Amino acid sequence: MRKFNTKPGTTPGGPCMRRLVLPALAVSAGLLLGPGCDRDQVSHASVAKEAAPAMPAPSHASAPMAMPPGAMPPGSMPGGQLPPPPHPTGKGALKWTLPKGWTEAQGGGMRYATLTPPGAGKVEMSVVVLPGAAGGELANVNRWRGQIGLQPLDDAALGQARKAVKSKAGPVSVYDFTSAGETRTRMVTGLLATAEGNTWFFKLMGDAEPVGKAKPAFMKYLETLHLD
Amino acid sequence: MIKRFALRSWNFLASLQVTIVALVLLMALVVLCTLAQTELGTLGAVNAYMRSFLVWRQVRGLPFPLPLFPGGALVGLVLVANLTAALIKRFEFNRRKLGLWIVHAGLILLFAGEFATGAFQVDTRMAIEEGQTVNFLESYRQMELGLSDVTDPAHTEEYGLPDPLLRAGAAIRVPGTPLTIKVKQFYVNAQLAMRAAGDPPSMANMGVGANVKVTEAPPAASDKEVNLTSAFIEPVAGGTSYGTWLVSSGMGAPQSFIHEGRTYVLSMRPRRYYLPYSVTLKKFSHDIYMGTDIPKNFSSLVHLSNPARGEERDVLIYMNQPLRYDGKAFYQASYGKGDTLSILQVVANPGWLLPYISCALITLGLLVHFCITLFNAIRRRQLDGETV
Repeated sequence: MRKFNTKPGTTPGGPCMRRLVLPALAVSAGLLLGPGCDRDQVSHASVAKEAAPAMPAPSHASAPMAMPPGAMPPGSMPGGQLPPPPHPTGKGALKWTLPKGWTEAQGGGMRYATLTPPGAGKVEMSVVVLPGAAGGELANVNRWRGQIGLQPLDDAALGQARKAVKSKAGPVSVYDFTSAGETRTRMVTGLLATAEGNTWFFKLMGDAEPVGKAKPAFMKYLETLHLD
Repeated sequence: MIKRFALRSWNFLASLQVTIVALVLLMALVVLCTLAQTELGTLGAVNAYMRSFLVWRQVRGLPFPLPLFPGGALVGLVLVANLTAALIKRFEFNRRKLGLWIVHAGLILLFAGEFATGAFQVDTRMAIEEGQTVNFLESYRQMELGLSDVTDPAHTEEYGLPDPLLRAGAAIRVPGTPLTIKVKQFYVNAQLAMRAAGDPPSMANMGVGANVKVTEAPPAASDKEVNLTSAFIEPVAGGTSYGTWLVSSGMGAPQSFIHEGRTYVLSMRPRRYYLPYSVTLKKFSHDIYMGTDIPKNFSSLVHLSNPARGEERDVLIYMNQPLRYDGKAFYQASYGKGDTLSILQVVANPGWLLPYISCALITLGLLVHFCITLFNAIRRRQLDGETV
């Protein structure tokens, strides 16, 4: 074995080297420990809506090319996603007359349709249909109330809050709730259980003032609901 | 006494025996890590064996895991300390040893590069469909609770609460909002099913989670499995509770609540890293050899837009030709959706140059050492000739 030039009994390394060792170790430790300090904080970004569409989910048919070790395999968005139920068609599809000045757009995902009243202010109406009782009236009403920070109702209070509107498709239960706070949010909602076994939800929601202006037209709209 | 102990320790640290033991341990770790990949997956095995200081294993009959073997990080650290000590102790700084100095510096840099990679490298991906513009990266493995303030028609305020923060009992203040997120339960992986008649009530009283049964599952072990990360959370603002929600990467439907006129959408999603620039996929190409299904080329023609730097340019990314930009390398990694979706693997590694520099140093050092030895041998032969 080759012996290097070391004199027995001498202090290892030169004085210059010894001075460098501790700072070097300190810097190394800093480099190793430093990165973990700010990695797991709440992040924030302001994103222009048109510039950043929703990230597309890679299809399950996607294929690997040069995935690195440990990388998520292709088609790797979490499986088991709960898809929205299919929208009813034919006789099960609800029809209505659009109030004057309102616009209608086809919904995406869970939504069946999106209706927008005229005028300024933040207000929008959504139509959602789910098969069956969809959890029941009390649960849904309390879910809506919770969305705007209101306490849940019991059965007795639910009956007091309910207003019935007649339509050709059946009676619609209407509720009107307004949140607390400086900027108040108001929602006027309707539930309709049809003979086909579906529950339809109509939700007019937005800032309290424009919702109040749109409410009369919304109530008329509910009266026009009908099945073929 | 202390001085003698320090000297003996120093001699031990700089000894060749330590080098040999460390190298043998490294070889053993490579074998063990390779075998463990069948059980833990590639990343799990690398993290458990190579990037940890100790390899922990659960021993039957014990309620806690035991450290059974030194991890790659510990062995690497010992090897670096050993090399450095040997370098300081044994070498003279003269021209004759210059080559060996350079070789050892290269070796130390190689280890430092691996440590830097382990500590700093961030692997993410960018999935873009043709015609789409994306300005964020997604983590392969980490999840986050996404809180999106969608009130403004022009902008979305995106907040991300990374999964290390999401632990049961945690109350996380979201800066810039009046919100605090209370985490009631957190599952690294879970199985979701619609609640049946006899099932206990859900912890969630808001959103779709009220009708979903959540069962904890062991974390995904192999690369082919994906965690369905889930949590029961309670947003609180201004003293008002907005109920308990189930958020899960297994649920696609958006869930939202309104506070003071601002609409917040909740989601569990892969952790996002927003960029100050955007990438638009103009065309993805999947070429095959004529008459076969054998791939010939995969490429993505993207448009890079960085208004802050006034950059607007097209870039072609193809196999082994990544786009290197802003300290990141965008590699062509995968595709899907009938060849309209391109998935780019994005690697940010500030130490990516270190292995190249260290290899160049080692080569240079060996070359220098060889030249010096050759020169000395020639000179010695000449001197011997003159003497004779």
